[in-house]
Amino acid sequence: MSSYLQLSGISKVYGQFTALEGVDLDIGKGEFVTFLGPSGSGKTTTLMIIAGFESATSGTVEVAGKSLFGLAPHERNIGIVFQNYGLFPHKTAAQNVYFPLQMRGMKKTAGLRKAEEMLDLVGLEGFGHRYPKELSGGQQQRVALARALVFEPSLLLLDEPLGALDKNLREQMQIEIKRIQRALGVTTIFVTHDQSEAMSMSDRIVVFEKGRVQQVATPLEIYHEPETKFVAGFIGESNLIEAKVTDAEKGEASNAALGAIEYAPTGKTSTGKDVTLMIRPEHIRLSRKPVDGRKNVTMKVETIVNYGDNALVIGKVGDLPMRVRVLGADVVIIQEDEECFISWTRENVYLIAK
Amino acid sequence: MNRFLRWLGIAVLVFIAAPLVIVIPMSFSEARSLQFPPPGYWLGYYTAYFTDPNWLRPTWNSILIASATTVLTMALVVPATFALVRHRFRGKGIADLMMLMPLAVPHIVMAVGYYSYFGSFGIVHTHLGVILAHSCLSVPIAFLVLSANLKGFDRTLERAALSLGASPTKTFIHVTLPILRPGLIISALFAFVQSFDETVVAIFISGRGAETLPRKMFDSIRQEADPVIAVISTLLFLAVILGVTAPLLISRIRSRRTRIAAT
Repeated sequence: MSSYLQLSGISKVYGQFTALEGVDLDIGKGEFVTFLGPSGSGKTTTLMIIAGFESATSGTVEVAGKSLFGLAPHERNIGIVFQNYGLFPHKTAAQNVYFPLQMRGMKKTAGLRKAEEMLDLVGLEGFGHRYPKELSGGQQQRVALARALVFEPSLLLLDEPLGALDKNLREQMQIEIKRIQRALGVTTIFVTHDQSEAMSMSDRIVVFEKGRVQQVATPLEIYHEPETKFVAGFIGESNLIEAKVTDAEKGEASNAALGAIEYAPTGKTSTGKDVTLMIRPEHIRLSRKPVDGRKNVTMKVETIVNYGDNALVIGKVGDLPMRVRVLGADVVIIQEDEECFISWTRENVYLIAK
Repeated sequence: MNRFLRWLGIAVLVFIAAPLVIVIPMSFSEARSLQFPPPGYWLGYYTAYFTDPNWLRPTWNSILIASATTVLTMALVVPATFALVRHRFRGKGIADLMMLMPLAVPHIVMAVGYYSYFGSFGIVHTHLGVILAHSCLSVPIAFLVLSANLKGFDRTLERAALSLGASPTKTFIHVTLPILRPGLIISALFAFVQSFDETVVAIFISGRGAETLPRKMFDSIRQEADPVIAVISTLLFLAVILGVTAPLLISRIRSRRTRIAAT
């Protein structure tokens, strides 16, 4: 993929504190990329550097081969949706959307017509004359989106835009934002600390931690092949098992509680190394009797958390805590404080080198 | 107990409102000096006020001085408030304190200070002198009102405007200023009222040349207790009530209109 937005060696230092350290990133035209990480991981700082509200201590930002260095925020032609929307309370929805066109010298009649068209696109037909305080949270969100897109920006930045919405509305807006982004083909960066949001919306995810980029990959790659322990722990649920490689050729390791564990061999490690093995809770099968062809161990069940359609079974193998996710119907076979078998195959075990 | 508290509340209200209300019948009084209750009613003192240049001149002086004070105060306070609320710099604490100083210092002390200090420039007994003195007294009040508004201002709005292509100047004109407008108006109104109402400094430095209305009323009540004072008080009272209720009425009518437009 050809690079459209390019960050090279971005660092940001506040006195003694390093907020960002050597961030490199290539984003293709029309891509939907999510910056995911806990608060204080540097994702918003990176966004603000792209927008021009913060300046990097070192490094460059280029859009379509042109450096943004020295350009003030209003000269960058980048649309931003802020966490609390930032709608102008003294302007109607249509006037809000017209504002960037007005700043670009567009005449009022033509500009307001274009604003109304944009409001139609985000599903707010006929709401143009309303003031922000007369709109619901989801509607305000749509106005903010329309306003950030109406001037055909070179980039769209979304800074945790769904944080203030309740769960149902949030899912609805995730779908809406994706639909609108696809329709317009605008290159988009979405900042969130919500991993399910990142998984469901992104073409690629950039995982931030402590001012560094941990991994850049598609949602499925991030989920199934996390490169670091942090990524494995932050995205989805996982059983992370400390182990020592006993045979790197065949893919064998051992752990005190689980004994010998086979994993899909990779060239990433060598015999005798300490590594972390990851097994996703939904890849573990729970049964009364051992299952042939799988690695079986006995687990003492401690807690069962029921979600209706599925359940999380938390227990211990020896002194190693393990989590197993089972479909709702399967959980009836087991009760708290009972012992059962859990099993998995070699393919379910993923080795994290770092 | 509850009933007792209610009557106590009413009594306090009456006690506070009585001096305001008592001047209204007195302004229609036929008596030759201030007297309550009035022996009879007529409009003669209203005619007297509106025709006597000795009353009209101080009225115009007061309006002129209060208007100029408002303009000068706001010209100083708006940039000062932005600097003090939004920026950190050396000596900010002292600057904050100095802004509010005139509120703490008794007016009589300020008045003596202006009298001798302005005397050395030869601006005692001039409009300019009173305007400068009143501005010093208005600045802290206008500053307090405006800084409270500015502290509550969501700066995301300015960032949003910048990201949408508005230069910092345009952002200020199209976003910051309109949103702060109510705060600015109230702040200016306080500055105006403070000047219009101010008596102590006016007595010391306004002289014959720039005599303000409160000063003239004070002189008049000492010399002859002219019932025109009651007329002026009534008119000012009326102006205040209009000033307070008009914005309420306007906003109510406006919101009804938008509600009708929305349906």
